Amino acid sequence: MTVSHKNMLRDALRIRMVEEKIIELYPSDVIQSPVHLSIGQELHTVALMSLLQTTDRVFTTYRSHAAYLAKGGDLNLMFAELYGKQTGIAKGKAGSMHLCHPSTGLMGSSAIVGAVFSHATGAAYADKLKKNGDIVLCLTGEGATEEGTFHECLNFSALKQLPLVYVIENNGLAINIPLECRQSYRLEALARAYQIPYAHIEDSFNIDTIIAAARPLIEQARSASKPAVIEIATYRYKEHVGVSCDHNRKHRDASAITMWEKRDPLIVDRDLDAYRDEITAEILEAVCFAEKSEFPDHDELLKDVY
Amino acid sequence: MKTDTYRGAITRAMRHAMEKNERTILFGQGVTDHVGILGTTLNLEKEFGSDRVFETPLAEDSMTGFALGASLSGLYPIHVHIRADFMLLAMNQLVNSIAKYRYMYGGLFATPMLIRSIVGRSWGQGAQHSQSLQALFAHIPGIYVVMPSSARTAYATYIYANSACASPVVSLEHRLLYDYSFDRKDDEDVIFYPFTSFRVRQGGDVTIVATSIMVEEAIRAANYVKEMTGLDAEIIDLHCISHPDENLIIESVRKTGRLIVADTGWESFGVCAEIARIIATREPNVLRAPIKCLSLAKAPCPTAHRLEHWYYPDMANLVDSIYSLCFDRFDHGKQLPSEEYVKEVHKTFKGPF
Repeated sequence: MTVSHKNMLRDALRIRMVEEKIIELYPSDVIQSPVHLSIGQELHTVALMSLLQTTDRVFTTYRSHAAYLAKGGDLNLMFAELYGKQTGIAKGKAGSMHLCHPSTGLMGSSAIVGAVFSHATGAAYADKLKKNGDIVLCLTGEGATEEGTFHECLNFSALKQLPLVYVIENNGLAINIPLECRQSYRLEALARAYQIPYAHIEDSFNIDTIIAAARPLIEQARSASKPAVIEIATYRYKEHVGVSCDHNRKHRDASAITMWEKRDPLIVDRDLDAYRDEITAEILEAVCFAEKSEFPDHDELLKDVY
Repeated sequence: MKTDTYRGAITRAMRHAMEKNERTILFGQGVTDHVGILGTTLNLEKEFGSDRVFETPLAEDSMTGFALGASLSGLYPIHVHIRADFMLLAMNQLVNSIAKYRYMYGGLFATPMLIRSIVGRSWGQGAQHSQSLQALFAHIPGIYVVMPSSARTAYATYIYANSACASPVVSLEHRLLYDYSFDRKDDEDVIFYPFTSFRVRQGGDVTIVATSIMVEEAIRAANYVKEMTGLDAEIIDLHCISHPDENLIIESVRKTGRLIVADTGWESFGVCAEIARIIATREPNVLRAPIKCLSLAKAPCPTAHRLEHWYYPDMANLVDSIYSLCFDRFDHGKQLPSEEYVKEVHKTFKGPF
């Protein structure tokens, strides 16, 4: 296994452990807002971000923790944000659902499903106009592709040939509703209708597969200014929102999680245990930073509103 | 005295924004066709290139989110809607994203942009090409909503927004103002802070707070009343619907004791309700009489000419309201302006756009 593979696995494990810390803290109510955990979806996020440069920008959804950390977001500022503290990345006004980290390229996380397709499209248009060689990556779930705006943005980004990669994490569920109740189309055919290159990543636990599928499209977006759609088959271990498991509920197949867990390198790769102590120490430091930070003053209530 | 039309002022502002600010991009359905948004964007594509001036697919919501993404990336988007009604298709992006981006992310982002839209009226624009929805937009914290009532305010607002403002601005222009000529003062191009209200006529007998074309109607009504009776109306152009100058309104009503609100929208939950709220919550005792509201009939806009005539308040309604308030009685017995007088300006309008 190469060094970069090890680093990616370590980064994915770090995201997993951050969210496990959130699960541990959640009952104490220090994080007083909804959280949408990425557990199960970390590794492909890390692998995809490894193909980006710092100046490339990312837009994502309320399930934002993995993208935030994989795109270089600061862990102290993230925990302070979850705690609603003044030192949070957005002074506590964003919380878990709206993480951002503009200095490393995370430009926003929307709790309105599908809203970010067009934000990414506008940002990619600016990159194209400026000829700066940067690309934009838009990371959403498959449910978002049901929104009309997805069609509108595929159309516009194909029309203008924008340097933009839409990454669709297909975890098969929109809140609790399975895919077969919602979609009549295949994403590949939809992309083809707009003559947008498409790649499907079947194994989201295999770094080589992810890189092999995504790299050509990301490079093509950068060098030839072309949009692309990448679909990743993935699995959400936890409930839609909150920190519990729901695979014993009627909308989920209880055996599926076992199948995923059996293959999950973050679980089965025991070599990764070597990283646990240092990651734990980093997380504790971030939690400590959040706990020691002050809550926002009353002055903050009306700051930054026009 | 030199004159300037509303159309001319907006056209100059669009050219200025393209010329002086290389970050400006201008887009919307019809910005490059032979109509050119009633002339205001004509030839700009040819001059500034199709990367900066371009048509959009019929996708208002996505193109509004597109404007946000472009703005976050340092561009200055001007997004144009030939009818304000189409902005309802963009409400998700406007309300859920644009209005919140700066605040929700703790001030890390600025989202300067201008969204221009045109309110239609007369000659059968009907229920879906005539709406004046300023109240909907102004309800949302995080955006400036303006309704330019003159060439001068339109020009200054757009130049200020494009050159000195980091916030999203939604503008509702009025179709019937496009051919109005305004006296052009020497200081026409002086740019002033536009996110406030302006006193456009001084008077001591009654205050009229008006929006958009109702400012012109109010001026004509005030001049008529002055000529007939000597009564002097004070007129405040509300201009920035979302951030009105409350003190200007209160001070004026303190002086006159009487208030008429003349708006292009519906009365309940709208501008009329809001101005009444300002008075009622801040200084209700300044009123010597109940507030009079002139607004649309509480119905969708009918297409039929006869019904449309009753649907909109006009100068005669304003004169009637002034007399009722100032003579303290409904049946004041005063002569109202003739139909011809009232029709003079907007009721002669014809045309598909």
